[in-house]
Amino acid sequence: MTLSILSFIDFLGAFALAQLTFFIKTLRMIYFSLRSVFTSKTESKRSIVSVISSQIYFTGYQALPLISFLALCIGSLLFLQSSSQLNLLQDQMPIGQLMNILVIRELAPFLTALVVIARSGTAVAAEVGNMVANREIEALEVMGINPLSYIVFPRLVGGLISVICLSVYFSALAMVGGFFITTFFHSMPFDFYMNTVITTVSFEDLFSLIVKSLFSGFMIFALSCTYGLSIKKSLTEVPIATTQAVVKSIIYVVGFNLSVTVLYYFIKFQRMSL
Amino acid sequence: MKTNSLIKSLRFESLSFSYPNEESLFQSVDFDFPTHTSVTIDASSGAGRSVLLQILAGLILPTAGRYLVNDKNVTDMSFEEFLPFRKKIGYSFDLGGLIHNKSLFENCMLPLVYHKTYSESESKENVMNLFTKFKIEKLAHKKPSEVMGGVRKLVNLLRAVVADPEMLLLDDPTVGLSQDTSLLFFDHLNYLKSKADLKHIFISSFDEKFLGLFDHQEILIDNGLIHFNIDATQRKSANL
Repeated sequence: MTLSILSFIDFLGAFALAQLTFFIKTLRMIYFSLRSVFTSKTESKRSIVSVISSQIYFTGYQALPLISFLALCIGSLLFLQSSSQLNLLQDQMPIGQLMNILVIRELAPFLTALVVIARSGTAVAAEVGNMVANREIEALEVMGINPLSYIVFPRLVGGLISVICLSVYFSALAMVGGFFITTFFHSMPFDFYMNTVITTVSFEDLFSLIVKSLFSGFMIFALSCTYGLSIKKSLTEVPIATTQAVVKSIIYVVGFNLSVTVLYYFIKFQRMSL
Repeated sequence: MKTNSLIKSLRFESLSFSYPNEESLFQSVDFDFPTHTSVTIDASSGAGRSVLLQILAGLILPTAGRYLVNDKNVTDMSFEEFLPFRKKIGYSFDLGGLIHNKSLFENCMLPLVYHKTYSESESKENVMNLFTKFKIEKLAHKKPSEVMGGVRKLVNLLRAVVADPEMLLLDDPTVGLSQDTSLLFFDHLNYLKSKADLKHIFISSFDEKFLGLFDHQEILIDNGLIHFNIDATQRKSANL
């Protein structure tokens, strides 16, 4: 019994240590990539900007059809469900507020992050992993190109910009598109609906959207690059690293989104009780 | 004609290297590498020829001891501090090393564009002249995966010399190349030497014919140590 408790503590300690080591490794990578870009006088910023724009193209622009489809479906679904439930309660005023809370605060940052993990997180982890296995990272180094500023930094920045823009786009399309798609199922005037949306949107809603999107964008690409770069030499390590990057990205994104919402309500309830 | 040289000396001091959980490839090596000459590396397979070239290029760091370039320890240098030396080192990989999402032309352009070595039009002209000289101009805009292994090898070699390096490290340079292309590359190295840009060449190869073209010194990696192979000819005839 004592032995099994000790081995469990041992397991927990080893797990915590591994997580901490990985976290420090990721932070170091981010720090050195930022430092190399901002301190180096010899680097071609034009080359880096070109990699950032291609990352925005692949992560942001190419994801627009899927994000649009998801936003319209989720927007319609939420609008139908909310309007019918609120009709039953003889109350249509809070519909804009409910849509704001559900779409802007929760669903837009979360679903956008999931789409980006599925499309771009996997792509980045596999691409960087293949580059290591194919000795392309070594080739960059030998050409005097810092892989952290040429590979990691543009993916972080491009990914971050894409996730924020996609979340805002998702929110807007879900709110407006959802209304128009379900127009045959309700008689609510558009002016009235938009008025309830605009008058009830709060600073907290927008803050939540931006903070969650910032964190998701940053973590997805930081983790994908860390796992991609952690490959030693063999191509067989690439799918393993990609899976690990996806799993860890989902855990971090869900955990952070939940923490922000819990913290928000914790602070709100504390203020109410004062 | 340029006569000044950035890389003046290359020295190992008590240098050791081993991959994690593997036997040491180098054990406390003290060695002064000859410069301003061509040096060939003789060793059996797996003795550390490629690793030696990678250490010389600053791609991997020793696990113990010091690698000194102009008496400065490379291990203590940041990426930015080693950059001036790195920009003067050309390295050709034995396998892989080409950027797969760029064309062969873009691969050779990358170091020039990134470091703004020449203007963009000059860089394009230089690279295309090189491709024309080696008769691969028609393949210039193909991706590495779309061409034969020999062409990939050649582009690897051309990328190593395109930025006019002072020191060239060639790992199995002629594998997959035709005899004519190898000779053409040798001629190109002589041309670079005549311009006084290229000063130190390190070659690891089993191609005796290619090595025979160079007026070179030979170093031997033996039991984790490096020493001059003064009696290489005698040893080879004894082994026969």
